[in-house]
Amino acid sequence: MNEVFIKKPEKNNATKRELLFTFQSIIVTGLLVFATLAFFFYNHLTIVKGIKVVFAPFLSVVPLLFVLSILRDLRKGFVEGNYSKNQIIKFCLITLCITAGFTGITHLLSQIGALEILLAAVMAILSTVFFLRSKIKDILGMSIITGIAEGIIIYMIFLF
Amino acid sequence: MAFIVTIGISVVVFLYLVFLGYDEIKTFKDVIKIIASILFPMPMLFFVRFVLIEHFLPQNTDEYKQKNQKPAIFLLILSMVVCLGVMQLIEFITHQKLENNLIFAHLINSTTVSSYVLNYILYNNLKANGILSGVLLSLATHVFFLSA
Repeated sequence: MNEVFIKKPEKNNATKRELLFTFQSIIVTGLLVFATLAFFFYNHLTIVKGIKVVFAPFLSVVPLLFVLSILRDLRKGFVEGNYSKNQIIKFCLITLCITAGFTGITHLLSQIGALEILLAAVMAILSTVFFLRSKIKDILGMSIITGIAEGIIIYMIFLF
Repeated sequence: MAFIVTIGISVVVFLYLVFLGYDEIKTFKDVIKIIASILFPMPMLFFVRFVLIEHFLPQNTDEYKQKNQKPAIFLLILSMVVCLGVMQLIEFITHQKLENNLIFAHLINSTTVSSYVLNYILYNNLKANGILSGVLLSLATHVFFLSA
């Protein structure tokens, strides 16, 4: 059992961290889709104008592509070694704050009455996640997307 | 072996919880809540792994086992007693049964078992193993025996 999970030794920690970051962003994407579907079916959202649904995602995708194309990497990437205790505490606190914030933001999302506005909002969040994923490869980015994911989940469990 | 049994206990607890709350699962909303409570630990665990990646992976030798046997068993019993006590206390204080708030039971179950899996695969820390098994056991005892 144990042998299966032991990683190959040539992988260094930075690549492992990058992989974890990718997994985390996939989870966030899945959660956002899940939340959108849940709100769509549960709140019986109406499609006011069909054409708007097609255009809603572009609102945030276009700026994202633009920003991605002109900006170089903001952070150096993942650290190879350990984080110090102070750093860990600091980033855990950041994660907690963002979790609380995103519980509120998800609550706002649930108040939206039309599908196209919801789509636009969700795509804006997704674009932020992809921006973090491609440009801010750091523990800060990781704590932000962890906070987003936990915020959505906590809203779904306790407030929905 | 112990790994498989622990996972098995957790699955049984999960099925039992779903069975208990079967009458309450009327709407789409309840299904969403259960799925969300199962997904809850995932991002957190990824974050933990991200932060503590460099942590040592002790070899599963006899020596290591012997050294950690006593503290691990102690922690197992301690966490079991403490968790049972806390759950009884909360039920006593709020005058509510855990069965009426099954979402919390789901939450405890999924969080514990996925931390257990993470610890087993990546850190192999016997003391943490003891604590997590204790929490899971106390949840199982509580759900199966004390709340009849």
